[in-house]
Amino acid sequence: MLLDYDRMGWLRVALLGFTALVAGFLLLPVVFIVLLSFGSSRWLAFPPPGWTLKWYQELFADPAWLNAALTSARIATMTAILAVAIGLLASFALVRGRFAGREILRGLLLTPMVLPVVVFAIAIYAFFLRLGLGGTTIGFVIAHTVLALPFAIIPIATALEGFDKSIEDAAIVCGASPLEARLRITLPSIRIGIFSAAIFSFLASWDEVVVAIFMASPSLQTLPVKIWGSLRSDLSPVIAAASSLLVGLTLALMVMTALLHRKFRT
Amino acid sequence: MDETVRAVSSRSRVAVMSVETRRNFGTVRVPAGLNGLLPALILIMLFFVIPVLALLLRSVTEPEPGLQNYAALLGDGTYARVFFNTFLVAALVTVATVLVAFPVAWMLAIMPSGLASIIFGIIILSMWTNLLTRTYAWMVLLQRTGVINRTLMTIGVIDHPLPLINNLTGVTIGMVYIMLPFMILPLVGTLRAIDPMTLRAASLCGASPFQAFRRILVPLSLPGVAAGGLMVFVMSLGYFVTPALLGGTSNMMLAEMIAQMVQSLLNWGLGSAAAFILLVVTMVLYALQLRLVGARRTSGGI
Repeated sequence: MLLDYDRMGWLRVALLGFTALVAGFLLLPVVFIVLLSFGSSRWLAFPPPGWTLKWYQELFADPAWLNAALTSARIATMTAILAVAIGLLASFALVRGRFAGREILRGLLLTPMVLPVVVFAIAIYAFFLRLGLGGTTIGFVIAHTVLALPFAIIPIATALEGFDKSIEDAAIVCGASPLEARLRITLPSIRIGIFSAAIFSFLASWDEVVVAIFMASPSLQTLPVKIWGSLRSDLSPVIAAASSLLVGLTLALMVMTALLHRKFRT
Repeated sequence: MDETVRAVSSRSRVAVMSVETRRNFGTVRVPAGLNGLLPALILIMLFFVIPVLALLLRSVTEPEPGLQNYAALLGDGTYARVFFNTFLVAALVTVATVLVAFPVAWMLAIMPSGLASIIFGIIILSMWTNLLTRTYAWMVLLQRTGVINRTLMTIGVIDHPLPLINNLTGVTIGMVYIMLPFMILPLVGTLRAIDPMTLRAASLCGASPFQAFRRILVPLSLPGVAAGGLMVFVMSLGYFVTPALLGGTSNMMLAEMIAQMVQSLLNWGLGSAAAFILLVVTMVLYALQLRLVGARRTSGGI
């Protein structure tokens, strides 16, 4: 009865009302920030006295914002490529390998996801200071790849577990080399996993704040570092404009994921 | 019929054998497939394990060898307050998240799929939106002259603006907002796995809806609630960004204190000792969570 949607009576009304309320709570900041970015009040009065595009103009007129966005895009792209490549190799070994300590190795590779980021951030910051990698693109990419690796391994390994290996074996029996069978049979079959891995590891780097705050130098700032800096000084509406563009990006990624999922399934 | 089955199975046996043979004569692979792990292991050892161990080493060597950093952290009232605050916020956030997430997950588990996918879409949108964007929105919404205070004053609920930011209230609202998807999504899975028949049986046996809820639904979903709640608690313990932006100086949390010790005070010894304490607490709770989830394996199937 309690799990029968059609026979819950008043309880259903109450629970649906509560769910709608929570959905509104989840949606509120996102919608609010987009509306705010078009408001004309510098003091973030809401509802705004008028509508304007000037915060977007200010945003695009400031090369620091554009540079930060480009830096983030560059680092996140490199991170996604590296994490997917390394994660793909690791997933094959984790899913198919039969060796002692497999569980421990799996746990080790997923630890960066669990350890509080601030601990890793100061550890890698100190380490890179010694190696002279602090504030460099390569340092950023390495640190972010460590953090993104679990997000690449999990979807790929899940997809690989759902893939019937006998299909790959059949290709080998039919004369394909093991490498060819993997490239032409297995990889296309687990592409949803690989695609999710790419998106997740891109986002893991693109949105990463804590490591970035420590690693950033005046000449190398990612977008989150730029936003962080602005947030600490004032709550300018320019941040709302930048944030709205990020919301747009999120929506685009969601639509892309949904479309690709649909396409892959048929 | 039987013949064909046998023929197919013997053919496939041959196929499997030939694959096995090929494998045996292939390149020398010491333990099958371990090579693939090498890049990942090198990355994690070199840029994760070693830096973290080096950091922990500093906690007992700086400024001089010994345990004085830990003694200082555990013996001082100021630091004790930070530890207390961290646990308080994490506990508050966990309880609030569980209470809010449970009814939503319950509905999502049984809702018609069209309606559910809209709610799922909203959850994913909020989860994937940039963390700083969401926190910024709450900073503006909750400030003294923010929308929430103004609305409440216009309606006439309050006369003076409520202090909603730079205190415990602000951190809790901001953190619950961030943690909700992490609680709702796994809980939907737990609730979907419960057989609706058990509840129908309960009501046939005369249980009131409340009894059925308390004695059937809650106990059956408890493993999911516990695992999700523990995950939220662990994540909240080490959270940095939201407490730093929405919290006040009087209720600083551990992660922020660690960052401050290292970045502003340059006290690496004390900072790494605090980091070590956070690491141990996190890992112990994580191990507990893994045990709770047990054979059903967390982290999406692997």
